[in-house]
Amino acid sequence: MRPLLPTFLLVLAVSAAGGSAAQEPVAKVNVSTTRDPVDKSYRKMIKGMERFEREHAFAPNAPLHFQLLPRTPDVRMDGITLRVAGDTVSVPVPVGPDNSFILPRNEQALREDAAVLANRKTVSMTWRALIRTPGLPPDTRRLGDLRLECRVGTEAGLVSNNSQLFAWLSNALLSADHVCNSPEGNYLFFADRPLFGVRLRAGDRVEDLPFKMLYAGGDQTPEMLRFCDCQVLLDRTYYAPLWDRSWPDDTLVEFDYMTPAESAPAPEVRQ
Amino acid sequence: MKAAALLISLVLAGCATGQATIGTQVPAERLSSSIVPGRTTKAELLAAFGKTKAVVFDSGYESWLYQSPVGGGRFAEFVVLIDPQGIVVRTRQRAPAAP
Repeated sequence: MRPLLPTFLLVLAVSAAGGSAAQEPVAKVNVSTTRDPVDKSYRKMIKGMERFEREHAFAPNAPLHFQLLPRTPDVRMDGITLRVAGDTVSVPVPVGPDNSFILPRNEQALREDAAVLANRKTVSMTWRALIRTPGLPPDTRRLGDLRLECRVGTEAGLVSNNSQLFAWLSNALLSADHVCNSPEGNYLFFADRPLFGVRLRAGDRVEDLPFKMLYAGGDQTPEMLRFCDCQVLLDRTYYAPLWDRSWPDDTLVEFDYMTPAESAPAPEVRQ
Repeated sequence: MKAAALLISLVLAGCATGQATIGTQVPAERLSSSIVPGRTTKAELLAAFGKTKAVVFDSGYESWLYQSPVGGGRFAEFVVLIDPQGIVVRTRQRAPAAP
């Protein structure tokens, strides 16, 4: 697979040269296709899995899955197939009815810098780590699970914003340690259904999340929204105070949905 | 270039701006006594309190935010959920965080 950075620099160089050479014959340069932002680096996803193992203490009873989520309004989320594809290796990855999956380890795919490919169009989907401690009350998540999801998801390069430039800059500027330990980190989570409010509960301490921690901050304009992987799930998005250690890992994150489950307007998406 | 500038600003800011959320300021008592879920309409909200911070979703639902001063430069939040028919269906209040 072709690294993105050299290609990006090549594009910049060609663009810069274009101004001074406008009157001269133009030499054609063929740039091979870069990795589709929806296709994920297998090596990066394995790094995310290794981080899960190293930092499993955040969620000691939870397994690791990954999950595919809708990114554009027209994408069909049923019948998705997934495979790990290298130069000579192709490994099918079973996808569950909730579009979650477990990524297998394959040394040959690692050597070949394989990609994880879905049978869907560019930027039609986004990806997240899915780390859920079993036995929690309904409509809740555990903050330690979310802390680990952020670390794994960022390490694995799962956030799928609608631009290769955006993705490259994100990777270059934002490490998992920064994203998951800073109030400015802005790692978006998706609830099962549209949210009206989110409450934190740790023993006797109870606090509602402020409005600015819902709906991707509540400041998305239509122009901005198309670059965000929250484009069609905006009403399900929330930030969690991952950085605030005064909230322990066992803190429950309780969801107050807009509507009761039976009249929910959209199909349920498991986190 | 404009798109590139927007992208760079989005990357540096993440998906949210991180700025304080601003809603129209209205005393909490006035909001509580005026807004009745199942009855109050979006038009009535606009007429009574003017425009405020709002997020409109593809489903047709809208979430509106008002802020109520509680002293010391702090504000409580009053959030209103409006259904696709333009009727207030739910409200909630959030006390300001401890200073």
